[in-house]
Amino acid sequence: MKRLLIPVFIILFALPSFGQRFITKTGNISFFSDAPLEKIEAKNDQVNCALDTQSGFFVVQVLMRSFVFEKALMQEHFNEEYVESDRYPTAVFKGKVQNMQQINFSKPGTYPAVIVGQMTIHGHTQQVKATGSFTISKDLINASAKFPIKLANYGISIPSIVAGKIADELEINTDFQLKPLKH
Amino acid sequence: MKKFKRIIGILFITGIIAAIYVWVFVYNKPHKNFEKAKPDIVLAARQCYDDFSEHKALEGGKVVEIHGIPSGIENSDSMVVVYFTFKKGMFGDEGIRCTMLPDFQKSALALSTHDTVYIKGFCSGYNGTDVILQSSSLIRKPNI
Repeated sequence: MKRLLIPVFIILFALPSFGQRFITKTGNISFFSDAPLEKIEAKNDQVNCALDTQSGFFVVQVLMRSFVFEKALMQEHFNEEYVESDRYPTAVFKGKVQNMQQINFSKPGTYPAVIVGQMTIHGHTQQVKATGSFTISKDLINASAKFPIKLANYGISIPSIVAGKIADELEINTDFQLKPLKH
Repeated sequence: MKKFKRIIGILFITGIIAAIYVWVFVYNKPHKNFEKAKPDIVLAARQCYDDFSEHKALEGGKVVEIHGIPSGIENSDSMVVVYFTFKKGMFGDEGIRCTMLPDFQKSALALSTHDTVYIKGFCSGYNGTDVILQSSSLIRKPNI
């Protein structure tokens, strides 16, 4: 009896440390750069994102080759010359919501969010602070944020022939419709 | 002088034709038509998932044709995704996710989760949980 009770007790004790996890596999990330040579815009609507509403743990996984550009040539250059998708196929962000005490995940509404974490793109990891919002409705959390990234911080170099004509900073927009993870 | 003008004229016209060619066929070349593309790899869905996730034997950036019994069909916003589940993980079901081309969305929604389907698409790789096939189309095998 004692042998049976110990694992049950451990499981019951451990349960509260796992909050409800909300996920999506069809999250949206887009980036935009306005520069003298040309405007660059790309979208990816197959992004993984998970949020643990108790710990504030927030993770995003992106396949670089899933970004779609208006021009096929631009898409080729992005994958082959800039982010080198063969060598670095994914980008990952792992962070935590910093203002958890200001967000009530069980009460519908829009709450400002500050997320700080490590973002790895092109094999380079940088600390990132993103501000955005969580819009909570019944069984759905919409997480959105907008933040800039500098290409040089991730070892992405712009060929000298077009330097100055392509922006060295991109504006990243994220939009995730997170649903409760069903076990 | 007349000859010189003619050479200049020919060079000018050649330059214009070259510029138009580059503008149309290089700079504005269309995206690849994955529905008509010949697959680089043909294999079973389970084998495809294992080769990407465990054996690391495959890489993205190729046109892949898979076959297997789908676990379900997801319809969200303007996307229809046919998915094959092989594992449970941090993001729930893990396996292969095939985002269908608009022309194949209706027929994908009518698929059965009991019959083998053949799907071809551009494989953008393995994101740590799923193998992603984009611009996917259903293939009608003659003996099915």
